[in-house]
Amino acid sequence: MNLAPLHLILNHIPIIGTIIGLGLFIVSLVGDTDDLKRASLMVFAGVALLALPTFFSGVGAQGAIRKDAAVPASLIERHEGAAILALFFMEVTGALALVGLWRRDRLFTGKPWSSNLAVILCFSIVTAGLMARVGATGGDIRHPEIRLAQEVTKESGVSGIVSIFEPSPGKFTDLMLLSKWWWAFMMDLHFVGLALLIGTVGILDLRMLGFFKQLPIAPLHRLTPWAMAGFGVNTLTGILAFIGMPNYYTFDAAFWLKMLALLLLGLNAAAFYLSNAFNSVEHLGPGEDAPALAKFFAASSLVLWFAVIALGRYIQSFTDTIPVQ
Amino acid sequence: MALPPLFLRTIEESGFSAWLRESESPFAFYFVLLFHTFGLALLVGANAVIDLRLLGIEREIPLMPLKRLFGIMWAGFAINAASGVLLLIAYPTKALTNPVFYLKLVLIAIAVWVMTKLNSQVFGDASSSEATMMARAKTLAKWSLALWIGAITAGRLLAYTYKYLIFPC
Repeated sequence: MNLAPLHLILNHIPIIGTIIGLGLFIVSLVGDTDDLKRASLMVFAGVALLALPTFFSGVGAQGAIRKDAAVPASLIERHEGAAILALFFMEVTGALALVGLWRRDRLFTGKPWSSNLAVILCFSIVTAGLMARVGATGGDIRHPEIRLAQEVTKESGVSGIVSIFEPSPGKFTDLMLLSKWWWAFMMDLHFVGLALLIGTVGILDLRMLGFFKQLPIAPLHRLTPWAMAGFGVNTLTGILAFIGMPNYYTFDAAFWLKMLALLLLGLNAAAFYLSNAFNSVEHLGPGEDAPALAKFFAASSLVLWFAVIALGRYIQSFTDTIPVQ
Repeated sequence: MALPPLFLRTIEESGFSAWLRESESPFAFYFVLLFHTFGLALLVGANAVIDLRLLGIEREIPLMPLKRLFGIMWAGFAINAASGVLLLIAYPTKALTNPVFYLKLVLIAIAVWVMTKLNSQVFGDASSSEATMMARAKTLAKWSLALWIGAITAGRLLAYTYKYLIFPC
């Protein structure tokens, strides 16, 4: 199976998405419109989620293109280094956007938290710039109709300065594998993050489904930042693990299904907050029953989170289930 | 070099152990492992929510109804005791020759003991005020969180610290 098309489909999303998000964000700040601020923060969060499979699919595309001797390896390495740096800024922007959307207990519905909007603006501008470079260095690899692939030459100006901060992918991989204790520590954090996330999301989902009905929903929902913290830890340790063993994860069907389940969880969360489901349960007190739509989102959240755990556990036994080609 | 006790080899040579370990079926080793992680999520996830609440976060969550989370915790514990025995049958030498495995069992034993203490001392008297419950739970809840993180860490380390994967021949 050729993973290159997946990369070629996904790779425009983080670049164009960041630029659209940034445009909307600037307009919303100039016009001081809260709805638009929220909308642009949601774009950042969504693009940060989609940037993960985009980044991960790059290794598969690389496997497909390496056979083509006309493409110098240095071009691919430069693109990958640029992608790692841009991904880091993208994920920080996404995380800040979620924090910004979280104001007291009203995720996605309250007035955005203004004091971190400036920070988000800075990060999203840097992200957009870095994403442009990821696109340009990627285009150097494979756009023979515009330019032929050439060895990397010394860069000047802004690209020269940015390139200093771009890690060498091979060295980054070696760093992750330097000590088994570092690897064990990352995996340990991944499991602790899992417990924190499932505990805090699970109790809210179960309450909406009708268990523990003596509990009011609003304070349970305020546990969400703990779930976000767990998710943040797991996103970071997950990305680092992927950089450590890119070929192990890339050709693994369970890994890609896990990514799909995570994207569906993103959609599920967006639908929960943007439909009237969240409003309908927000103020439910002890003993009150949640409407069917909220129950549906709670059930799909639980099923998908347990699917994420299950698929994560099957990664080890599903290595090399996707043929290199 | 002293060999590990021979009964470990006897377990490994049994058909069931070999099937768990070597079967290509997705319902063998990794299926058990997945339930071990589900159990972890239920047990530690639910206990962490109780601990955090007892330590003072989100005081608007009424405490007494959280007593029902102990059912989820015991269910998680049962799943993990059962799946843990199966994992032990699959790789007895790997686990039983590793000191970290015994450390993990000790940490779990103390964490479960703390859990029963929380149930009896903090949630035992339905007429206690929330302030009393939180005062009684202060030390227990901190230990509970630390012990569960320790148990998860010891469990993770089992994958990196074993001396023998299977019985040396």
